[in-house]
Amino acid sequence: MKESKSGNPKSSLKQLQNNENASPFTYSKLLDPEADWDKDQLGDVLHWIRQVVGLFCGLFCGAVPLVGGIWVLAFLALSSGIIYGYYSLILKVDEEDFGGHGALLQEGLFASLTLFLLCWILAYSLAHF
Amino acid sequence: MASMFSSSKFSDSLTVVGVSLCSAVICEAISWILIYRTSSYKSLRSSIDKASRKLESMKTTTDSLKLTTKKSKTKKMDRVETSLKESSRDLFFFKFKSGAVVAIVLIVVFGLLNSLFEGKPVAKLPFTPIWIVKSMSHRGLQGSDLTDCSMAFLYFLCSISIRTNLQKFLGFAPPRGAANPGLFPMPDQKTS
Repeated sequence: MKESKSGNPKSSLKQLQNNENASPFTYSKLLDPEADWDKDQLGDVLHWIRQVVGLFCGLFCGAVPLVGGIWVLAFLALSSGIIYGYYSLILKVDEEDFGGHGALLQEGLFASLTLFLLCWILAYSLAHF
Repeated sequence: MASMFSSSKFSDSLTVVGVSLCSAVICEAISWILIYRTSSYKSLRSSIDKASRKLESMKTTTDSLKLTTKKSKTKKMDRVETSLKESSRDLFFFKFKSGAVVAIVLIVVFGLLNSLFEGKPVAKLPFTPIWIVKSMSHRGLQGSDLTDCSMAFLYFLCSISIRTNLQKFLGFAPPRGAANPGLFPMPDQKTS
């Protein structure tokens, strides 16, 4: 069974109350599995992580260059894997308290995809033509 | 490095990105003046945040209650949900009216870029676009090389990525609890 901070309704309520009284954001919370997260705080952090991954992956793919639509799928898989690993293994949050895996994985997804495509196209066009 | 980019065959792509960035900043400034700094927007946003939090806490506690208490709790939840939908709808229409000005700015900018780069590829795609993307990425371009990228597609990518992240950075992103009711919201069955 997956280790989780909340395994029943009473502890879910406690988690929710913790969320309402969640501590203000500090950078030390980013790697702290004991930190209390507000839904908006966690969503914002996941959003920005995706954007950074999109930026670096796009620039890398354009610089090498990596060519072909398969790299779009590779980026989606990689960025989703990083996000999942971060909230599941590092922060150890219970995804049920934050709307489930779907809600967490879709934070910043479309914006990061467009940012990845933009950086990839720009780096490829400017560096190789 | 700057001279390397300016001498690149596709240096026009940087012009598109620069114009897109400037227009995003201008649009957010207009939105701030017309929408975000008004007391109506702030109170609507605050009520949506409160209602969504209240609804979440009520949903969590409902499961463990007795049947009679559960029924009255469900009625309260329906009222909160209705209030949340109404606030979301009000927020949508409030932003919609002011958003017309932003839309005009975006249309003017797009028209300007179109007149500058019509029929000219501004970048090279590192992939062959699928049919959904092809109509935009090869818009107005001659030839059969589908990896030529038109201004429209690059501007689209810039708009989405830059504006979304700019809104997020400035704190203007829509609240997570708000649902988009659309232009034709259906009446709430529970209150009729």
